[in-house]
Formats: sequence, structure tokens, C-alpha cells
Amino acid sequence: MKKKERASALIRTVVLALISILFILPLVWMVLSSLKTTPEVFARPFHWLPNKFQWHNYPDVWSTGAEVNMLRSYYNSLYIVLFSIVGQLLIASLAAYAFAKINFKGKNIIFMLFLSSMMIPSQVTIIPRFILFRTIGLYNNLWAIILPAWFGATSIFMLRQFYIGLPSDLMEAAKIDGAGHLRIFAQIMLPLTKAALVSLIILAFISSWNEYLSPLIFLPSKKLFTVAQAIQSYMQDEFKQHNLTMAAATSAIVPVAILFIAGQKYFVEGIATSGVKG
Amino acid sequence: MSNSTIKESRKHFSRMQRQENLVGYAFITPALIAFLVFLAFPFFASIALSFTKWNFLSGWSKLQWVGLDNFAKILQQFAKKRRFYDALINTFVYAVTTVPTSIAIALVLAYMLNNKVYCKKALRMAFFIPYISSAVALSAVFKFMFRDDGVINSTLISLGIANPPDWFVNQSLNKIPIILLVIWTAIGYELVIYMSALQNVPASLYEAADIDGAGSAQKFWYVTLPLVSPTTFYLVIVRLIASFKIFSSINIMTLGSAAKTNTSLVVEIYAEAFGSYNFGFAAAESMVLFVIILLITLINFAGQKKWVHY
Repeated sequence: MKKKERASALIRTVVLALISILFILPLVWMVLSSLKTTPEVFARPFHWLPNKFQWHNYPDVWSTGAEVNMLRSYYNSLYIVLFSIVGQLLIASLAAYAFAKINFKGKNIIFMLFLSSMMIPSQVTIIPRFILFRTIGLYNNLWAIILPAWFGATSIFMLRQFYIGLPSDLMEAAKIDGAGHLRIFAQIMLPLTKAALVSLIILAFISSWNEYLSPLIFLPSKKLFTVAQAIQSYMQDEFKQHNLTMAAATSAIVPVAILFIAGQKYFVEGIATSGVKG
Repeated sequence: MSNSTIKESRKHFSRMQRQENLVGYAFITPALIAFLVFLAFPFFASIALSFTKWNFLSGWSKLQWVGLDNFAKILQQFAKKRRFYDALINTFVYAVTTVPTSIAIALVLAYMLNNKVYCKKALRMAFFIPYISSAVALSAVFKFMFRDDGVINSTLISLGIANPPDWFVNQSLNKIPIILLVIWTAIGYELVIYMSALQNVPASLYEAADIDGAGSAQKFWYVTLPLVSPTTFYLVIVRLIASFKIFSSINIMTLGSAAKTNTSLVVEIYAEAFGSYNFGFAAAESMVLFVIILLITLINFAGQKKWVHY
């Protein structure tokens, strides 16, 4: 019986490994193409390994000589991601704590209002946002991407569930000691939500890093290009250096992938909790 | 208790309530401001714009109220099978092809991974990486792989297929690279959700099925499938909403091609709004997107009551 079990585990592993190779193959192709010359990328018959590894493709896309380069766009993307996440989670934590632990008038109505906004896709509000940013001078500014991210209905909803689960005894005890809501929130409650915050950081990171439509609309000037826009600009380059496009794509994917492999435990839990509805 | 102390304590109580109110409002004010400025106001402005004919470049003074004209124009385009028709039909095609396929594959993979398997974490990671990768970067990769002189066709030729198709020119094939890309990236997310759902299926049920002599396929069909049905329903809703907003992969893959042979709702809204600056008409089109998403969400609410119990 034991032997049979081990054999079937082995078969399953082999089948899954073969399928997983199929999943990774396009990425392998991307990395190898980033080390070829452009004619080699589209050479026929196709060969996987470059004749000569073109390592200089990477300094080419990262050096700050060109107007669009990976260093600049990485800085822009990380700037957007960082300030989007910090703002969204801070604001969401405050609101979630209030919805869970403070009895104020009209809180249910406001909460329902926030929840129902989940039905509005950002694509529906993008035209008025464009007019708004043009009017107040935020057009062609990284903050045009950051500020709208500060309202996160999903974050508020998930954190509220989390705060409801925290015992109110803690709060009552602190209240008797004369602590106000702000102190209870900052010193007692917020540190207890670390696990939920890590999940939300991961989800916010993925969506912010992947954002493409709004940078395309709000960030027309090349020095503000995000990583996604930089890849697009390499694709549209008149010299059609598609090896460089692939070097840019690899630069966008590999560091993030390594980060996620390192923190595998957190992100799997993070994604999983997002799917388990409270 | 005398009358005056009751009054006194009521006063004290209402003062405390007032204070609670103030603190509560202070805590939600940042969220409320962000909500009003970046969501509520733009949403109602979008509704208002959908009743106008207005080209952004011509300035506010040229804004014209046209009532339902934009929606009539949408219907006309739809009836004449013109732009909006293509966009809507294509979006439906992407939803119908990618949602069930990716969910079915993810469930089978999650089921296999949940059994005894070697290197479980490494395998899960391999399926997951496409999901966390930059969508634009992956679209670029697929565009080059499916090019006429790309690796896919080279492989097909070396397999003996003399005239492989030009994937992006051929009208009946140009959706295939995009469909494959969407399925490939969606599986990672669905797989992780399914794996955590499968962990909640009690082992005793499988043991009972074992005693009844059920095979592996039967256990999957009669035990696993019904028990993860709430998760399946959730994933269908989430993926449907996501696929109706499909944009980046299409925009990247049609980049540089002269004729727009491939569109979607959001691609069409983007082209109308920021290609030709027809803000009124584009806003009306975005309302169609909103109504579709609203309907899916309502189905979700109705369905949850029926589905989320075993």
C-alpha cells in the first residue's frame, strides 16, 4: 500500500511538472530572447540559446542615457506603489476601525455607500477624473495615479471584518484607563491587524504594479513613464530592437517574481484570504 | 433615583454619544473625502456626460445636452454591426472562452496538487508566477511569440506544418493569443483560491467514499466538485467582472497594426475618449460597461443565497 501511494505521488508529480514547464516556457523564452540580437529572436529555424550572450542589453535598457529607461520607470512605478499602498491602508484602517468599534450616527449608511462603490469599475470614472486632474493641475503628475488609490473599498471591508473579530474587552480596559479612540487604535488595535495588512499589501502591490490604463492616460511625458509604459515604448521604438523590449520585460518580471518566491508563505495566505468572504 | 439625576445622566450620556459621533466622523473623514472626490463625484459626472455631445478639445462652451442621443447611437452601431457591436461581442467572446476554461484547469491542477505530491511549493509557484507578472510585459512576450516569424510558427514549421497562419492578421485567429494569455495568467490566482478551499473539505468524506469503493475520478466528481461549488461561483463572478474590463493585453497586441481588428468595451471607450476626445459618447459607452458589471454583481447577490451552503 505504501509503495503504491508513493508511486502515484510520483506520477502526479511528473504530470504536474510537465504542465508547469509549459507554464514557465514563455518566461524562459523571454529571458533568453533578452540576451539575443533582434534578428536572432525571430530567427528560423528557432534556437533557444543565443549564439553569443548579449549581456549589454541590460545596461542598454537600464542606463540613464536614453529618455525612457528602466531605472527611471522603476523609480516612478515604485513611487506610485509605495504611496498608493501606504495611503490606502492608513485611510482604510482608520475607517475600518470606526465602522467596527465606534458607534456613530449614520455609520451603516456610509458603510453601505462605500460597499456599493465596489460595483463601479475605475474605467467608468476615468473621463471625469481626467477633467478633474486637468483642472486642478495634477495631470502629468504621479499623484494622479496615487490619490485615487487612497480609497479602497475592499481594504476597508476586509479590515472591518478583522477589527470586528478583535475582542472589545481590550478596548474597554484601555478606555477605563482614560485612553481615547486614537490611542486605542494606534497602540492596541492597529498592531493586531498585521496579518490582514500583509495580505492587503500584497493585493495592492499586484494591482498597483500592473496598472496600465490610468498611467497611459494621465502620464504622457516620458520622464514619468511607469514600467508598463516603458515596455510599450520599447515595443513602439522605431529601430524595432525587440531584444531590448524583452530585456525590459524581464526587468519588470524577474525581481518581482523573486520577491514573491521569497515571501511565498505570506502571499499565498494573502491571496487565499481575499477569496474567503467574511 | 431622583428626577434630576436621571436628567443629569441623560445629559452625560448624550454628551458621550456626541463625542462618539465626532470621533467616528474624524476617523472616516479621509476615506469619505477620497470616496467623494475620486469615485462618487466622477461617477455622477460620468452619468451627466453621457447625456451630452462634447469634444474635450473644443472647450466647455461647446458642450451640448443631447438627451439620449448617445445611447441611440450606441444602439444604431449595434444594429448595424459597427464599432460598438464588435467591441461588445468581442468582450463576450473573451469572457465566455477564458472564464470556464481557466477555472476548470485551475480546479484540476489544485485537486492534483492537494494530494501527495513532491516539490509541492515549487510546482505551485510555477503556476502562480504568470499571475503576479506585469500584464503588459507578458502581452509583449505573447505578441512576439505569435508573430508571423515568431517562435510559435517556427515550431509549427519544424513540426511539418508548411503554412502556419499569421495569427494577428487572420480575423478568425487573432483572438487566440489573447485568450491563451488571459487563461495562462488567471489560473495562478484561481489555483491558490481552490487550494485553500480544498483544504476545508473534510477528509472523512473522502474516507467514506473510499469505503464505498469510489475511484479517484468518482471522488472528484461526487465529493470535491459539489463541496467547492461556492468557491467556483465566487471565481466565476470575479473572473467575469475582470474579463469585461479586458484592456491591456488587447491594446498591447494590436499596437502598431493599422486596422483595429480586435477591440473590447474598454478598448473602445479608451479610443473614443482619449483617441478622438468624444467625451460624451465615451461616457455613454462606459455606462454600458457599468450596467453589465452591475448585473453580474446582482447575480452574485442572488446566487450567494442559493449557493453558499452545502
